[in-house]
Amino acid sequence: MKLTDVLETTKREPHCGLCKIDFLGTGVCAAGKKHGFVAYWPEGRMELARALAENEVEPSEALIDIVNSCNMCGICDRQCYFITQRRPTKAQQALKDYVQTLKPNMIKHTPEDEIVKDLRSIVGKDWATNDPIIIASYLRSIIKQKSSGQYYVVMPNTTEEIVEIIKLANKHKIPYLPRGNGTFFGVVLQTLLAEPSSIEQGIVIDLWRMKDIDVDPESITATIGPGVTSFELQKAAKTHKLRANVAEAESCVCANAQNLGIITTWSNTYGWGTDNFIDAEFIDSTGAIQHLSDKDIPNPYASEQGLMSLSLIPSVIITKLTLKLHRIIEDEEPVFIPFTNLPDALDLAYNLARRNIGISLAVLSRKYLTEFISPTHEIAEDFNYIAEKYLKLNYVVDVICDKYGKKIIEEMAEITFGQTMLKSLILGSSKLASMKDSSILKMIAEEEDPLKAVFAGPMLKHFEKGLAASPRELVKDFDEDLRDFFEKLYSKPELTDSIWLHSFRILPCRMERKHMWMYRGGYMPGDKKTILKVVDALEKPAQQYHIDGAFGFLSYLERGKLAHLEYDYYYDHTDPDARKRVNKAIVESWRQQFAIPGVTPLEFICSKGLHRKEHIIYPLPAGLSEEELGHFEELIETLFGGEDTW
Amino acid sequence: MVKYLSTEWAEQAKKKILTELDKAKDLKNMNASLLNVVQNVPPDNKTVYFYFKFVDGNLEELITGSDESIKQKNAEFTITGDYTTFVKISDGTTSSAMALLKGRVKLAGNKMKALTITKPIDTFNACIKKIETEY
Ligand SMILES: Cc1cc2nc3c(=O)[nH]c(=O)nc-3n(C[C@H](O)[C@H](O)[C@H](O)COP(=O)(O)OP(=O)(O)OC[C@H]3O[C@@H](n4cnc5c(N)ncnc54)[C@H](O)[C@@H]3O)c2cc1C
Ligand code: SF4
Repeated sequence: MKLTDVLETTKREPHCGLCKIDFLGTGVCAAGKKHGFVAYWPEGRMELARALAENEVEPSEALIDIVNSCNMCGICDRQCYFITQRRPTKAQQALKDYVQTLKPNMIKHTPEDEIVKDLRSIVGKDWATNDPIIIASYLRSIIKQKSSGQYYVVMPNTTEEIVEIIKLANKHKIPYLPRGNGTFFGVVLQTLLAEPSSIEQGIVIDLWRMKDIDVDPESITATIGPGVTSFELQKAAKTHKLRANVAEAESCVCANAQNLGIITTWSNTYGWGTDNFIDAEFIDSTGAIQHLSDKDIPNPYASEQGLMSLSLIPSVIITKLTLKLHRIIEDEEPVFIPFTNLPDALDLAYNLARRNIGISLAVLSRKYLTEFISPTHEIAEDFNYIAEKYLKLNYVVDVICDKYGKKIIEEMAEITFGQTMLKSLILGSSKLASMKDSSILKMIAEEEDPLKAVFAGPMLKHFEKGLAASPRELVKDFDEDLRDFFEKLYSKPELTDSIWLHSFRILPCRMERKHMWMYRGGYMPGDKKTILKVVDALEKPAQQYHIDGAFGFLSYLERGKLAHLEYDYYYDHTDPDARKRVNKAIVESWRQQFAIPGVTPLEFICSKGLHRKEHIIYPLPAGLSEEELGHFEELIETLFGGEDTW
Repeated sequence: MVKYLSTEWAEQAKKKILTELDKAKDLKNMNASLLNVVQNVPPDNKTVYFYFKFVDGNLEELITGSDESIKQKNAEFTITGDYTTFVKISDGTTSSAMALLKGRVKLAGNKMKALTITKPIDTFNACIKKIETEY
């Protein structure tokens, strides 16, 4: 197999990073676990297969080691197939075949220079490199594609080692940048934000080895290292019947804390940012170690607001974080309230938020619901079509609450469904997709209120029966050799358990299986009028530039006083024209969002100290005047050049 | 070829600004004074100051040097960073706005006003970039 044979797949590698964690109980890539560098993980092999095919890097000795370290065990195929339906072993096979074609004189030796020598003396010889092949595996997930800088990658294991690395970088006057699991970079590096968020030369500090987790059930807290992912922390918390307020499974919690303050559907009860942070150990740019609990440190929450406050690079490296955990209540249950219109969904959700009902509370779009729970993108597309055309199901208010909360919701909402229906939708999604344009769906659509008919009326039983939900039915169109595995997997209760899925968040990555996306949205007052204005400010530029834009989810803070909206732009990042259009839509939507009083766009929430909302969101910003928006355009031009250069 | 941040360089910068930039079109009649604090300047890692002041788009003053009196000039904005970063701004590898965004320089002063002068400052930098400079 040639590298070019898999190029269509490798070019689309989203660097979702899920295959670096054991989220399916398969174990993880043994080579990745042993060697650490991204190059040894499936995502890195994908990137290398692409970079070699596109002549962005030349083979080096490390390539031989990377290729030989894979025994084609197929764990990555199962993991990646679950998310993207891709098979990384194909890229690995192409790499193996490519290596066979190399003559010895084509394989470059990388001499050790002074910097890598010093890095190795800090972290040990196996954990620092200047090998171009290993560096190339970090392309598009911290290093910009086609960057010509001189790079090093280092994998420290202690805070003290990071201090030494920073001092070394300062001595040589070269930049450094920490990397958790690279998923933020994977998204933004495809956009005009690539330059301000990536490293143009210098030392990539890959924090993956720093995986200490210490749960203290007495104080209901956990202290973690910067390589700990949300999934790993959640798993540790769960063994004590506790829950962490963490985002998608694969993100490193310290990275997420620093980067976005950890935005979740649980914010209704658990809050956001420093609502959950108790102590942090971090290292400043001089290499000094500081703690949140130290009296004499500069204000770690300090942050600026407004147009000039955009900052996508962390000012400190968090090396330890102590977070609050939360008790899991025995009678927690999911309740879903389906809606056709967003304003109606917002009315109910806001009412619940104001009354503090719902431990987890969100308005979820049809797009998220169908994409997350469908095992393939094709099924998701059909499901999405059916939900819109026949079921008139466009939004759900998605709640996890106790039994008292459930009673109140059932009093407030006419139509609800719960765990049983969700399980049927997950396991029956493939059958549902096959029912596209069927007579039963046509009958449902003819009902006066299709939502009511399906979820609370006479059609409920027929609908559920029609789904014929079962793991075997679900996997029948999967690659043949993987069917048995997936049938067993989907038979595990957690894979269809709404509460588990909300806590462990292994599904959101599915949104990048077909195309790349870019997070948009931000924080705003929780009233419906403002939210709808913001949706409009995001939707219109997407339409203007022919980008597929879709509402993602909305969650609340402070009893509905504030809301966080995620709205996404989906586009083909392998198409230069689509990339240009998405950039234009991003800039235009900033303009429109900034004009709305109280709104802070998501990008302007990034890397803001330790994310104390009182510093970042308050005082609620006044909408910018036309004159100020004019200056904003000048700033954009200064930063990124004219539209033609994006 | 003149040495970056030397008196000769400052003289050439002044001349270029005065002859090549239009105070309304390019400099937007800006009123601002800015002190660049350039740290670790080779060969002996000294700090060098680079100060300029515009009144209604007219360049009133542009000076460089290590003299502490420059620092005392009460500039409206102060940009502090390493010599290597200022070289990149000066040779056009990056812009001062991008260096700020990436945290490579620190800005002190009113951020909202800074927003209004980003464009003229960029034009100013693009103009002095054309000086044949030895770094
Ligand atoms: C599919 C998907 C869904 C998402 N959903 C959510 C969501 O619901 N809620 C939410 O909050 N976010 C969400 N995100 C964003 C993501 O969680 C954050 O960007 C998170 O920071 C990514 O973690 P990471 O380990 O991959 O970080 P990386 O991409 O490695 O790094 C992100 C940033 O943090 C910096 N950084 C890394 N480690 C440290 C450290 N120890 N100290 C200081 N800085 C550090 C990096 O330099 C970089 O600037 C989502 C992302 C994806 C891809
Ligand atoms: S898409 Fe995700 S799971 Fe698949 S190889 Fe890439 S990082 Fe791993």
